[in-house]
Amino acid sequence: MINLETEQKEMLRGSMGPGVSKAMEILYAYGQCYDARQMIPVTSVHVAGNFPVLMDEGIEWLEKLAEDGARVSVFTTKNPEMFDLERAEALNVPTFYQVRQKRIHEVLKKLGIIPTYSCHHYLVGNVPKFGDHIAWASSGSQVYANSVIGARSNRDGDHVALAAAITGVIPEWGLHLTKNRKAEVLVDVGRLDLKNFSTADYKALGWQLGKKIGMKIPAFVNLPANIDIEAIKGILYTITVTGATGLVHMVGITPEAPTLEAAFAGPPPKTPDITVSQNEIDAAYKEISSSSEKKVDLVIFGCPQCTIQEIKEITAMLDGRKLNSETRLWICTSRWVKTLCERMGLLDKLNASGADIVCDIGAADGPHLYLREQGVRVIAVNSAKASYYAHNLFGMETWFGTTRQCVETAVSGKWEGKNHEN
Amino acid sequence: MKIKAKPVTKGVAEGEAIVSNMPISFTGGMDPDTGIIREPGHELEGKSVAGKILIFPVGKGSTTGSWQFYAAFKRGNAPKGIINNTVEGVVAVSAIITEIPMVYAPENDPLACIKTGDFIRLDADNGIVEIITKANQ
Repeated sequence: MINLETEQKEMLRGSMGPGVSKAMEILYAYGQCYDARQMIPVTSVHVAGNFPVLMDEGIEWLEKLAEDGARVSVFTTKNPEMFDLERAEALNVPTFYQVRQKRIHEVLKKLGIIPTYSCHHYLVGNVPKFGDHIAWASSGSQVYANSVIGARSNRDGDHVALAAAITGVIPEWGLHLTKNRKAEVLVDVGRLDLKNFSTADYKALGWQLGKKIGMKIPAFVNLPANIDIEAIKGILYTITVTGATGLVHMVGITPEAPTLEAAFAGPPPKTPDITVSQNEIDAAYKEISSSSEKKVDLVIFGCPQCTIQEIKEITAMLDGRKLNSETRLWICTSRWVKTLCERMGLLDKLNASGADIVCDIGAADGPHLYLREQGVRVIAVNSAKASYYAHNLFGMETWFGTTRQCVETAVSGKWEGKNHEN
Repeated sequence: MKIKAKPVTKGVAEGEAIVSNMPISFTGGMDPDTGIIREPGHELEGKSVAGKILIFPVGKGSTTGSWQFYAAFKRGNAPKGIINNTVEGVVAVSAIITEIPMVYAPENDPLACIKTGDFIRLDADNGIVEIITKANQ
């Protein structure tokens, strides 16, 4: 039985209105399933669903929640949507989607959710600190929060995360408890030539590791001491595509894992449970790509959304060259990173080449519904996650490679990376 | 025959059982427009769970599954009750937001006791699953 405090009982009973009552009802039943003993305060929430996920019924559910008086009581941000809110007409987004997006936007505002439309919400102030309890309903950011920041989030869906945002609490179970955060398998990546790894190689590594790890909590040893944050994100955002782990201990990087013994909260295994070979890395590129057709309609970056560093890199690689007339190049990011690009002159340079910065969306899912209607069939990406979702949910044919290979593809119009034809 | 189980939600449902020995994902795994299981290679592939009492070991897949299930429910294509061996968040939340009866941790394995086509009564108020009529009898 969950031991509710007086205020929480009042919420459940309906004293604060039917919306709050519904939120507490969700959390109570959910907590019961996992034998939670109590509710604990959350400091940060991030919700994910966009129109392809919510559908009309989901929008109506949110509208009912807002009509019933529910408002978030915790700092809550929102993942990307379907299109750039300020450029719907320029991007030829069908009215059908514009009407629905407007309803989503209005209901999110009514609920008090900050309309960031970004998956790098931690770059705009939604930054929990070490040990904070949070609810981030986006598998990539959730594993990032647990593994890099040392905040504590379970793999919650939107309904649970929203309910936590409204009530300010969440049932204490799973990764909220120290005893459940110990490493379970030892992963040694030392056999790989990591000093010559590209960020894309790290994504290929994450792809293979996710399959081997499944839901277990891994501890990584032999990552390079100078590994950069993009490579770390490359591993973490991909590992949750093929696996379902919520926490990765990177020894020397993860706050809870200064040593291997700390990661395992005791003696670690004597030999590694999991290793990855270069052959497996090479095989991952082939597995992640689905296309056999060389001509590429769209090169799309930004899963997770591009940082200013990545956009600088892409602009430098493009170096003023014009795109192929039959290939588009989209850089997906947040509104505030686009503002930086304008200030720095990057946007003008990109536009002169024919490339576009598109805000409020990510490269994995949002825009693919209408891009498909616009004739986009083959895409090139530097994100394994974007490739997986674009292909499996939206039927796009994909090529996966490095940032440079993708940029060269946009210039020549045909895939310039590794060829995986059988 | 009666089986005791733990309730996730309240309510009572009576209907035809549909049994899967494999876990089910609502995102990508079930079509909200028909209630048909569409995961390639799934043992219920091509079969509809709409209006039936769905019995399976545990949920799997994306946490967006609760939105998919909600849409299926509003379109009249969701199961009318759920029995799971092991509870998992996506399925539990799906039952909670649609207010359909759901139980878990049954004392006897429903995958062994109940066959597709059996007519059963799922009483989540009291945590009891009852087989009323066996199929083909």
